[in-house]
Amino acid sequence: MRSLLSIFKKIKFKKADIPKASPPDRMSFKERYDCFQKLLADNNSILETQADMEEKLSGDYIFDMHYVDSRCDILVEKVQSVIENLNSLSNGEYRGLYDAFEKINSVIKDSLIKNIEIPVTDFTIPFEDVTKDMVRSVGGKNANLGEIKNRLNLPVPEGFCISSHAFKRFMDYNELGDKINISSVDTDSLVELTRVSKAVQNLVLNATVPPDLEKSILDAALKLKRKADLRAGGFYASVRSSAIHEDAQFTFAGQYKTALNVAPEDVVSAYVEIIASLFTSRAIFYCKSKGFHVEDMVMAVGVVEMIDAKASGVVYSRDPTDESKRGIIINGVWGLGKYVVDGIVKPHTYVVSRDIPMPILEKNQPVQPFMLICGLEGGAIDVRVPDYIRRMPCLTDEQVTTLAGYALVLEKHYGKPQDIEWALDLNDNLLILQARPLRIVAEKRSMPVPRSLPGRKILINKGQIACKGVGAGKVHFVTKDEELKSFPEGAVLVARHTSTRFVTAMNKAGAIIADVGSPIGHMASIAREYGVPTILNTEIAMKTLKASQEITVDAINGNIYEGRIEQLVEAGKKDNTFKDTAKDTAVFEVLRGVLQSIVPLNLIYPEDEKFSPQYCETFHDITRFAHEMAMNEMFKLGKGAHQRKGGAVKLVVKLPLDIRVIDLGGGVENRSDKITVDNIACIPMKALLKGMMAIEWPGPPPVNVKGLLSVIASTAMQPNSEQSLSEPSFAVLSREYMNFSIRLGYHLQTLEAYAGERINDNYIRFLFKGGGASHDRRARRTRLIKEILEKIDFHVDRTGDVLDGRVTKYDRTSIEKKLGVMAKLTAFTKQLDMTLFNDAVVDWYIKEFIKKHYVE
Amino acid sequence: MAKIKNLKGLMIPITDYPHMPYWATLEEAVVLLNFSYETAHDTILVFDESYRLMGVLEQKEILRDIHPGFSKLSLEKVSDKWEKLILTHNLDQLKKPIKDFITPFNIIVDVEDHVLKAAHLMLKHDIDLLPVKESENLAGVVKMHDIFHEIAAFILKS
Repeated sequence: MRSLLSIFKKIKFKKADIPKASPPDRMSFKERYDCFQKLLADNNSILETQADMEEKLSGDYIFDMHYVDSRCDILVEKVQSVIENLNSLSNGEYRGLYDAFEKINSVIKDSLIKNIEIPVTDFTIPFEDVTKDMVRSVGGKNANLGEIKNRLNLPVPEGFCISSHAFKRFMDYNELGDKINISSVDTDSLVELTRVSKAVQNLVLNATVPPDLEKSILDAALKLKRKADLRAGGFYASVRSSAIHEDAQFTFAGQYKTALNVAPEDVVSAYVEIIASLFTSRAIFYCKSKGFHVEDMVMAVGVVEMIDAKASGVVYSRDPTDESKRGIIINGVWGLGKYVVDGIVKPHTYVVSRDIPMPILEKNQPVQPFMLICGLEGGAIDVRVPDYIRRMPCLTDEQVTTLAGYALVLEKHYGKPQDIEWALDLNDNLLILQARPLRIVAEKRSMPVPRSLPGRKILINKGQIACKGVGAGKVHFVTKDEELKSFPEGAVLVARHTSTRFVTAMNKAGAIIADVGSPIGHMASIAREYGVPTILNTEIAMKTLKASQEITVDAINGNIYEGRIEQLVEAGKKDNTFKDTAKDTAVFEVLRGVLQSIVPLNLIYPEDEKFSPQYCETFHDITRFAHEMAMNEMFKLGKGAHQRKGGAVKLVVKLPLDIRVIDLGGGVENRSDKITVDNIACIPMKALLKGMMAIEWPGPPPVNVKGLLSVIASTAMQPNSEQSLSEPSFAVLSREYMNFSIRLGYHLQTLEAYAGERINDNYIRFLFKGGGASHDRRARRTRLIKEILEKIDFHVDRTGDVLDGRVTKYDRTSIEKKLGVMAKLTAFTKQLDMTLFNDAVVDWYIKEFIKKHYVE
Repeated sequence: MAKIKNLKGLMIPITDYPHMPYWATLEEAVVLLNFSYETAHDTILVFDESYRLMGVLEQKEILRDIHPGFSKLSLEKVSDKWEKLILTHNLDQLKKPIKDFITPFNIIVDVEDHVLKAAHLMLKHDIDLLPVKESENLAGVVKMHDIFHEIAAFILKS
C-alpha cells in the first residue's frame, strides 16, 4: 500500500495547473476526436471499476484495504483525465468540474484515512473509573470490563488500564510512528510478512519506556499489589492487549499477546511485549486485510489481577451457529482458559436453557489430559490434570446456572448475544474476564444441502461445525507454521488443533478441519469472519485423510466426503453465511463509505437545470456530466465542418446529396484520389448509406412542366434559405464515429452516431430543424419524426420545428439497424412538411412509414 | 361606384391550401384531398424542391389518372360496382408520382390586382384557380368560387 498522503499529494492539482486547452477552432478535428476517444475509454474504465467495487459489497468476495486503495487510485486518475479531456474539447468551458472533483475527492480521502483520535488521559486508569464509552482511551476489552464492573456490578478481577494516550507517549518518545512502515507489505507473502513483522517488533522491543510512563505503570501495579496483600497472598497480573478496535466492532480475536502471571515489577516489560505483538505477522495480515491502516493500530493494555483459576472457559449466550436455538452454551476446562480459546483440549460443554429456571439441557464432560496453571515463578505451565478431578465436571450445576444468568444479564445490557470469558478462582468465586459481541453465522439459505448423499463415501461424520458452508479441495496438512507459507489456493486445511495463525491461509482455504478445537475458539471466530466452512473436533481427520486427497467438507450437516461433489458445493454457495458476516468487517465499512462518494447518481436528467458541475456530488455524477457534455461538444463538429471545409473530399455516391467526407482516422480506407461508398469504413456511416441507397429518392422534376418557376412560396423565403439549398452535407468520420450534417431541402439535420464494441460508448443523436413550409406544417413534420423515432427507442425533445433525439447504450448491431431506419426516415421526410396540411395527414404518414420501412 | 376591390381579401393564403412536392404519389394526393375535404379545397398545389410553384393537381385529373380509360367508356358500360373502378393495375397507378399529372400555371395575378382582372383571366383561360403573388413571392391562390361570390354580391346590391 502506497502512502495515501503521497497519493493524494500527487493527484491534488490546482486550477492554475490545468493544461490550457487550445481553442476548439484551432484544435483539429483529429485532436478533438482523440480527446473524445480518451474520454470514452476513461468513462468505461470508471464505470467498470465502480461496478467491480459495488460487486465486492455483495459479500461474495474477500478483498483487502489494498484493493480499496488501488480502486480509488484508478478512479481518481480516470475522473481527473475525463475532466481534462472534456475541458480540452470545450476550451475549458467546464472548469467547474475541478472544484467538484476536489470536493468529492477530499471526502473519499477522509473515508480512506480514518486516523484514530487518541484522547488525552492519564497513562493509567483504574477499572473503577472505566465504562464502555471509553473505548478510545482504554480499548474495547478494558472498556467492557469496566462497564461490567461499574454498571452491571458483576464480579471482575481487580486491575487498571494503560491508556491509548500512554501508547502514543511510548510511540512518540521513540519516534516509532516514523520508523514503522508496513504500508508496502505484500500480505500474500508469509515470508515478507514475517520479515517485516520481526523488524517492527524488534524496533518496539528495543525501544525505551519513557520514565514518566514507567513510573505511572509501576505505581499502579504496586498499588494493586498492596490491595492484594491486604487480602492475603501474593500478587501476579495478567497483562492483556486491548486494542482500540479490538472486540468493540471487529474481531481481533487472539491476535495479540497476553502475558500471564506477571510479577508487578515485570509489568512494564510485559507491556512492551504486548505493544510489540501489535505487529506480529498475523496481526499485520489481519490489520491490512481487514481494512486498517498503520495509524489505526493503537493499543491500550489491561493489567488485571491474575486469577489462579481452578477452571476457566467461555460462555456463548446463544449458539453461534444457529441463533434460533434457545440454549446458552458454556465451555470450560480445568486450569487456565487459554486451552479453551486456543482449542488445545476438548472442553466440558454445558447447554443451559434461556428460560427460567434455566435448567441444564446438555452436559458433555470429556476426560481432560492436560491443563494450564499459573507457575510459581510467574508464567503459565502445562501439567497433567490430577487424577481426582480428571473425570469430574469443572463446574457445579449451580455455578453453570450462575454463569448462564450472567450471560443473560450481559446480553440484555449490550442488546446482542455475547461471547464471555470466565474463571473460577481457588475460593470458588466466578469472575468475568471479558465480554464481547458474539459473531453469529447467518442462517439464510435458499437451497437446502442434503443431509447425506447416497452413494457417496463419507469419510468422517463427527465433529462440530464452527462455520457453516460447503468447501471442497485437496487436503493440506498443517502441523507447523511453515506449512502455512506454502498453503495452496483452494486447499482444505487439516490440522491437529486450531490456531489463530491459520488466519494467514484463510484467504486461500476452501475449508478447515481440526481434530481438536471448539466452535467457540478464536480461530472459529475468524473462520466465520472469513466465511471458511469449518468442522472442528473431528478427532480422526489427521489419520483418516491423506495428503492431497480431494474431499468435500459439508459444514452444514457435518459430513466429510471423499472426492469433490459439485452438487454440494453449489448448494453451499447459496448459503449466505459469509455474505452477512463479511459485511461487518472494517474494510467493508471503508468500501461502503467511499462508494458513497463514488456511485450514487444525482445528475439524472440533462435538461434539468441542476445538471451542472456545481451539483456533481459523486464521481459518477462527474463522469456522467462529462460524457454528456463531451457528446454535445462532438455534436458541434458538424458546424465546424461547414466553417472549415479544408480536408473534405467529395463522396461519389448515387444519392441526391452532395456529401463531403472528413476522415478523423479509420473512417475511410483504401482511398485513391476519390472516395466511393466502398471506401467508407465508418460503421455508422456504412449503415446509414446502405439504408439511404436502398430506398427510392424523389426523381427529377418533369421536363415539360416549366410553369411559373420563378415564384417561390413565401413561407420558404427565410434568410439564407436559397444558400442552404446548395450547401454540401459534411460527414466527419472515424471507424466508430459519424457526425453527418445533412442539408436536405430547407431543413438541416445532424445525425451523429457512435457504434463500437462497447455498449456504453454507443449512441445516436439526431437534431432536426427548419423546413420550407409554414411553421405549423414544419411542426407537424417534427411530430411525425418524433413519433417514429420513439418507436425505435429514441428519447426525443421537440419544440415546434426543432427536434433533438437520442438513443444510447445499444449494441453495435442495434445501432446499425436504427441508422438504417433513420436513412429511410431521412428520405421519407424530405420536404414532407409541405404536405402536412393537418394532423390527420400526419397520422396517415406515420402509419405509412411504419408499414413500409419500420421493421420490428 | 364601388371602391376598388383588390384580391387581398379573397386570396386563400398558401399556408391554408393543400400542397405537395412533385414527387408525391397519386395515393398521397388522394389522402391529402380526403383529409382536407372539410375545407372544400378540391385541388392541390404542386411545388418543386425549391418550393417553386409548378402547377395544380385537380380532382378530375386524379380520377382520370387512376383509371385512364374511365372517361372514354360509353355510358352504358359504366359499372355500378365500385370494384370496377379500382382494378389491380389502377392500384399501381396510385404509386405514380403526381408530377406527370399536373396542370401548369401560365398566368399569375398580384395581390393588388382587382377582382375583375382575375375574373377576366379565368374566363379567358377557362380556369377556376389563379396563383397570387405578393412582392414577387407566391402568397396564395384565388378561386372562381370566391370571385363569383364577390361579383354576385355586387349585382344583387345594384
